[in-house]
Amino acid sequence: MTEATGVVAIGWPQLALASGFIIAVGAITLVLHLGVAKDLAIATLRTYAQLLALGFVLRWVFRTNTPLLVVAILCVMLLAATRIVLRRSPDAPPGLFGSTLLSMAITGITITFVVTGLVVGVDPWWRAQYVIPIGGMIIGNSMSGIALALERVFADLDSRSDEVLALTALGATPWEAARASVRTALRAGLIPGINTLAAVGIVFIPGMMAGQVLAGVDPLVAAPYQIVVMMMVAAADVLGSVCAVLLSYGRRFTSDGVYLEKGHRA
Amino acid sequence: MDAGTLTDIVGPSGSGKTTLLLALARLLGDVSGELTLDGADASGLDPRVWRTRVAYLPQRASLVSGTVGDNLTLPWLLKVRAGQSPPAMADLRQALDGVGLDDIALDRDVSRLSVGQAARIALLRTILTGPDVLLLDEPDASLDDASAAQVARMTTDFVDRGGAVVRVRHARTDAGADRRYRLDDGRLTELTERD
Repeated sequence: MTEATGVVAIGWPQLALASGFIIAVGAITLVLHLGVAKDLAIATLRTYAQLLALGFVLRWVFRTNTPLLVVAILCVMLLAATRIVLRRSPDAPPGLFGSTLLSMAITGITITFVVTGLVVGVDPWWRAQYVIPIGGMIIGNSMSGIALALERVFADLDSRSDEVLALTALGATPWEAARASVRTALRAGLIPGINTLAAVGIVFIPGMMAGQVLAGVDPLVAAPYQIVVMMMVAAADVLGSVCAVLLSYGRRFTSDGVYLEKGHRA
Repeated sequence: MDAGTLTDIVGPSGSGKTTLLLALARLLGDVSGELTLDGADASGLDPRVWRTRVAYLPQRASLVSGTVGDNLTLPWLLKVRAGQSPPAMADLRQALDGVGLDDIALDRDVSRLSVGQAARIALLRTILTGPDVLLLDEPDASLDDASAAQVARMTTDFVDRGGAVVRVRHARTDAGADRRYRLDDGRLTELTERD
C-alpha cells in the first residue's frame, strides 16, 4: 500500500503480523514461567491505545491549527515532564515543582520557537505540525539531563555535608558552599547529551531522521533537520539543567545560610 | 565567656554538646534565645559576619580537595572577606612550622595527610582567620597523643593571645580549662575543682 507521498502505509493486517512477534515472546515467557506475560500484554495494549490515540489527536490538532491549542498542548507536555523529572529525583527537597516547571518552560519554549521560527522558518512560526513534534522532542529529551542534574546536586550536597558545614562555619554563602556540588551535578547532567552528540549517526540513526527517511524524505534533507534537533536538545539540556539547579539548590539552606542536614529537614 | 579564657563542656553522647556549639555559631536553624558578642546582640549582625568572629570547628576535619596552601587560603576566597588579603606564603610556612607541621609542604595534596595532620591544618585555618571566639567540637577525639598535644597547645596559644575558647568533649575535662561545665539533658552545670 503506497500513498501519494511515497510513504508505505501500514494497515491492520501488517500491525497484526508485527504483534505476532509479541505473542511469540508472550508464549516464551509463559513456558519459562517468567511471570511477566500479563505485564507484556498490558504494555502491548497500551502501546496500541496510546499511539493510535496520539495519531487521532495530532491529526485533529494539525487540522485545527490554532495558536491557543498549540500553547495548551505545550503546557500539558511541560507539566507532565516536570512531574516525571521530580519523580526521578528522590533526593530533591519538596516544593521544587514551580522552579523546575519554570526552567523547563523557559528553555523548552524558547528553543522550540527559535527552531520553528528562525532555523526551519515555518510559516506561521507556531504551526502545530512543526511546533508539537519538535517541542516534544526538545522537552522530552532534556528531561533526562535535568532529572540527573537535580538528583545529583542534592545527593552530592548530602555526601559533602561535612565540607558544606565547614565552609559555612568559615562564613561561606550557600552558593560558595554548594558551588562544587552544582558543578558536579551540571557536569553529570551534560555527559549523556555529549555522548549522544558524539555517537549519533555512527552508533544509531536517531528517531526523527529514521522516521523522515521511512516517510520517503531524502536523507540529505533529513540530516540537517536531525542536526538542528540534536543541537537544540543539547542546548535545552544545558540551559534547563543550569536553570533548574540554580533555582533549587538554595532550598537546602535556611534563610541564615545553614545547610539542612538529614534529620533537620521539614 | 570572657576573652582570654578556655571553657570546657563535657557530657554523654547525645546530650546536646554539638547542638550548643552550633547554636552559638548561628549554624542552627529555628532556635530562640539571646546571643551577644561584646554587648552587641547577634540579631544585629549578618550571620556570615558573626561566624567569622565566632568560629566553629567541626569534629570531622573537612578540608577541600587541593593542596594544604589552597586550604589555608580558602577563607579569603569567600565573599565575607572580600577586600582582605590572605596571609603571605612565608607566613603560612611559619604558621605550619609553629604547629609541628614543618615536614608538610604547602603544595602537598590534602589527600596525603594523616588524620592528625588534617585536624591541625583545619584548626590552623580557622585560627588564621582571627576570630574572637573559637568553638571546638571534640577537637582531639580521634587523634593520636602527639597530634592531640599539638591541638591543645594551639588552643592555649589562642587563649593566651586573648581569644575565648569553648571546647566540648565526651568525658575528659582539662586541668588547663578556666571553667568547666557538664551538659546533661539540656541542663548546664558548672563543675567545681572536686568534680
